[in-house]
Amino acid sequence: MNRHPVHVKINGVDRDGYVEARKTLVDFIREDLELTGTHVGCEHGVCGACTVLVDGQAVRSCLMFAVQAEGCEIRTIEGMAGPDGELHPLQAAFRDNHSFQCGFCTPGFMMTAASLLEEGPLSEDALRHELSGNLCRCTGYQSIVAGVMDAFERVSDSTGEGGR
Amino acid sequence: MRFVGESVTRVEDRRILTGRGHYIDDVRLPGMLHAAFLRSPFAHARITRMDTTEARNLPGVVAVLTGADIEAVTVPIQVMPQFPDFNSPVYQAMATDRVRFVGDPVAIVVAQSRYVAEDALELINVEYDPMRPVVSFEDAQDPNCPRIFDDIEGNVLYRSNSTHGDVDAAFAAADTVIHETFRQSRQANVPMETRGAVADFDPGSGDLTYYAATQSPQGCRFQLATYLNHPIDRVRVLSGDVGGGFGLKGPVHREDISLAAASRIVGRPIKWIEDRNEHLQASGHARDEQIEVEAAVTSDGRLLGLKARLLIDQGAFPCLPYAAVLFPNMIRDLLPGPYRFGAMSFEGLVLATNKCWNPPYRGPWEIETWVRERLMDVIAHRLGMDPADIRRANMFDGDEEDRSITGQHLAGITSRQSLERALDLAGYSAIRAAQELARREERLLGVGFATFLEAAPGPKENRVIPEDARVRLESNGHLLVMTPQGPHGQGHETTLAQIAADAMGLPLDHVRVVHGDTRQTPMNLIGTGGSRASTWASGSVMVTTRKVREKALGVAAAMMEIDASDLDIVDGMVVPAGAPSKAMPLSAIAMTAYLAPETLPPGTDHHLEAQETFTGDGVGGSGWSGGTHLCVVEIDRETGRVEIVRYVVVEDCGQIINPAIVEGQIRGGVAQGIAGVLYEKAAYDAEGQFLAGTFMDYLLPTATEIPSIEIDHLESVPVEGLDIRGVGEGGALVAPAALTNAIEDALVPLGVTINEQYLPPSRIMELTRMVPA
Amino acid sequence: MKPSAFEYHLAASTNEAVDLLAEHEGDAKVIAGGQSLVPLLALRLARVDHLVDVNRLNDLGEISANGRLRIGALTRHRTAERSTLVRQHSPLLADALTYIGHTAIRNRGTLGGSLAHADPAAELPATLLALDGEVEVRSARGTRTIAAGDLFTGFLSTSLEPDELLTGLSVPLWKPGAGWSVQEFARRSGDFAISGALTVLSVGADGLIDEARIALIGVAPTAVRATLAEQALVGQHPAEALWSSVSDAAVADLEPPSDLHGSSAYRKKLTSTLVRRSLAEAASRIGAAA
Repeated sequence: MNRHPVHVKINGVDRDGYVEARKTLVDFIREDLELTGTHVGCEHGVCGACTVLVDGQAVRSCLMFAVQAEGCEIRTIEGMAGPDGELHPLQAAFRDNHSFQCGFCTPGFMMTAASLLEEGPLSEDALRHELSGNLCRCTGYQSIVAGVMDAFERVSDSTGEGGR
Repeated sequence: MRFVGESVTRVEDRRILTGRGHYIDDVRLPGMLHAAFLRSPFAHARITRMDTTEARNLPGVVAVLTGADIEAVTVPIQVMPQFPDFNSPVYQAMATDRVRFVGDPVAIVVAQSRYVAEDALELINVEYDPMRPVVSFEDAQDPNCPRIFDDIEGNVLYRSNSTHGDVDAAFAAADTVIHETFRQSRQANVPMETRGAVADFDPGSGDLTYYAATQSPQGCRFQLATYLNHPIDRVRVLSGDVGGGFGLKGPVHREDISLAAASRIVGRPIKWIEDRNEHLQASGHARDEQIEVEAAVTSDGRLLGLKARLLIDQGAFPCLPYAAVLFPNMIRDLLPGPYRFGAMSFEGLVLATNKCWNPPYRGPWEIETWVRERLMDVIAHRLGMDPADIRRANMFDGDEEDRSITGQHLAGITSRQSLERALDLAGYSAIRAAQELARREERLLGVGFATFLEAAPGPKENRVIPEDARVRLESNGHLLVMTPQGPHGQGHETTLAQIAADAMGLPLDHVRVVHGDTRQTPMNLIGTGGSRASTWASGSVMVTTRKVREKALGVAAAMMEIDASDLDIVDGMVVPAGAPSKAMPLSAIAMTAYLAPETLPPGTDHHLEAQETFTGDGVGGSGWSGGTHLCVVEIDRETGRVEIVRYVVVEDCGQIINPAIVEGQIRGGVAQGIAGVLYEKAAYDAEGQFLAGTFMDYLLPTATEIPSIEIDHLESVPVEGLDIRGVGEGGALVAPAALTNAIEDALVPLGVTINEQYLPPSRIMELTRMVPA
Repeated sequence: MKPSAFEYHLAASTNEAVDLLAEHEGDAKVIAGGQSLVPLLALRLARVDHLVDVNRLNDLGEISANGRLRIGALTRHRTAERSTLVRQHSPLLADALTYIGHTAIRNRGTLGGSLAHADPAAELPATLLALDGEVEVRSARGTRTIAAGDLFTGFLSTSLEPDELLTGLSVPLWKPGAGWSVQEFARRSGDFAISGALTVLSVGADGLIDEARIALIGVAPTAVRATLAEQALVGQHPAEALWSSVSDAAVADLEPPSDLHGSSAYRKKLTSTLVRRSLAEAASRIGAAA
């Protein structure tokens, strides 16, 4: 079997793998790197559950092969909280706004929202449009929208931790 | 009470927010293999030959098992054969000689990885001899169509007939008879986490550990033991976080039995995680139903009687253990809703077709609400009445003697209050004025509303299935609450802790709710479903915690030499009445009970644990959840797009444990109801081929399609005792009615009657005759 | 839903990429953003023996505007969507890009990939047609350009040879004062459109329409131009009544496909509406700055 070495920096940690070319990035993250916070929801790029940040940009990790991530910096939900366990403002806002129920889609929403936080506040309509690439079956979305709006405020209120 | 009634943040959240949830695909065992199912591409066919040689020889493949291999080690399935008048077919966990729907499993590959397992699927050679598929209601009732099950005559599996009151007299007295057939389409639960499990049979001990994504761990254990013919004491089900279910994960699926059997054959743990294509095709579909109804009405809008004929397409196999035959009589009983009329005849049929089976989907009896509330609007439009007035004219007030024609006791219902409140909150007359203006501009603006009742728990006389909890005070004074529930997003670890903390007198973080381990939790086959948790799980936790509290106070009384009736527990401290300075921490009491029981006076019950049954005793209030939803839409007459301009909910679920969780349940249910009308259809073609196998075909609504939903709680005050009612299903029950009523209201100028539920833009344009059908 | 096995080749240069395509001619497929290809592989609706990854060919990611707006094939949708050069020199393209999927898709998807995939329901093939653009392709045999009108040969098929790599696209610089519009109708935001119309409209000094280009999405095996409608517009005064009559003409000869999301008749009616709306919007933008 044709395997390839892969090196990534994930949540600030250098990790190596040796994968079959057809292995998707999300399977690599979950199985080889044992970071199971990122979820597989559809494997055809529609539901957004597997969204991670690759070199700072939100991407579907089911639509990339692991070999293609060679040398990339990846951020997943496991990298959101501070080293001391302190929740990121986005995590705290999701908790306080009851922004999820079963939680399966939450990592994808969090990573999509994390990329939005980098770019600054949005109107509710614009935010709903940006979040429309992630599917949630539990909430009807209103609490997710509220959570991200709240996070925008928390980040702008606390310049100290917002940029993390 | 300190916690009940508060939107406390959820106990579950930290692990989920930090990526440390434990969903089924996160389970990883030493030596674990991976499974994939080969599925039928035909709706109906005989299997004439199957060759698995090439697949078995593929490197990395450990086993390829056919339906016959699984049949040899399992018990044939027959669901609810004792249900009166149900022709319950006998079937196998996997297809053996015949396939009965597109997606029917015919072989299971066990391999080193899911990748290799899928490679092997392509190497299995199956020859099929196609048969005529049974696809439509008409096919299923046609005696010339092939039988789907050889042991059952025809494809009508169940027929229920009943008459209530004097139907002939009601119709003879009518000024008008309105006749419509209301048709729903197939929809599906579609949790974001697909089905999946890890079966781990240990050949050394003979124990089968089944890691499940289930709504009912004990139900799963019971069915697995039954159909694997495995001693139930050697079956343990473990369930962690479950990524949604909405009814789908209450049943035990044929794949569960096949997977467990495969693990027992192979002697190693095997993981199966369904992919989305399999999920959409083969996990379950619901709502493929219609009701043909005749309504006898007077010219002033009084409903005198109904004749209703229900058809349910249950797909090929009766769902285990919740066959669709459970639903016709529920639909019959609930069809009159909160309305007063004197006669009804009902016929309900359950039909077998060559389609995917029909598990419960959030409010499985939903068609009663949709048809009734649709019918009220149709009557109003035919009589030129306001839809609000026709409801006012027929609605019960909730008086003690109020009882529907099907015998439902409706004392205490708040339907009328919810209707008036919804109209008021929405500004109904202003909406009608805006509609007048819009119509002058040829814009299609509509308003619709609908009222529902949800029997959660239902009136006292109907409460039949009790539930247990087990509660233990640990030596540190913290409480372990063990429940047979299988939460999958509802936040039971929080709400049950709120209940227990208040009942015991503890801080919230001194209570831990345990679920999903059948070696710890009490038996209960249902688990989480039917909006039971609010009443039944809460009640069981409350009565059991009270029992443990009583025991703890008994120990405390002995230690403190104060009568137990003079002791209270406040914030984890045992406090004597009038002498707060003498308070003792509960942990000291518990520590003594565990480590030094011999120091207590003889006869002191020092076992700080209890399992109690909650039978519904002490539940006050009507037992009916319910409310009214109101929806305003505008329809683009050139594209058929329906825009939801406003959505207002007035809901009464009794006393609220956690408002944020209740509102989440309501909004989520409404979203699914909207989805069934505007976006989702599990479509088949005339040959029974499945057409909606990806998320590009089966459209879940997104954040741009679901509007903000305004919620108002009536929260009727508990008269006595516990009055917490279920709220899980109401949104999904009533949203299709509110939305389709609004759509018809918008289309009144075009003379359109809505008698189908699925209304994508293309269908709207056909109904308005802007494009040919 | 796991792809079948393939050999993976990471091309370090364009030369190497086209050499790989030549070496494995017919058995190799190019992967750029992969946003259309990977789902097909996962569903095993497509399979490849060799996958040539062009994601590291940074020289295919440039945007320039010297005489024509030229965009390297590897340019991500998101990059082009935010490019001031693209907005300035081709507002129609800039708008069309925003309709592609969702941000996470556009972060990864490329312009070259979308054109080579040639989905009739996608935005970029129709955009290239509406702009009278062309693509540059390269193989070990040399380079050539293919005009938009010659590129799309059928459903998901193009006139690229199996050994050819699409390296870039170019469109004429925006005609000052021309109006434009993108009108799409999808059931959910981010979905492929049920149908769509992209329009460029300009008027001469005499106030009459001197140029009209309309490309349609989702109505045929490829994106198509509504040439009869375009001809009917030229030489006319811009007016509401004209848009209505022309929009009916634009769809008269179409036989759009039927699927779960709408019948052929529905698509036809919808497309007519979208053409009318796009003409009205384009006309309203005539003379406006891009």
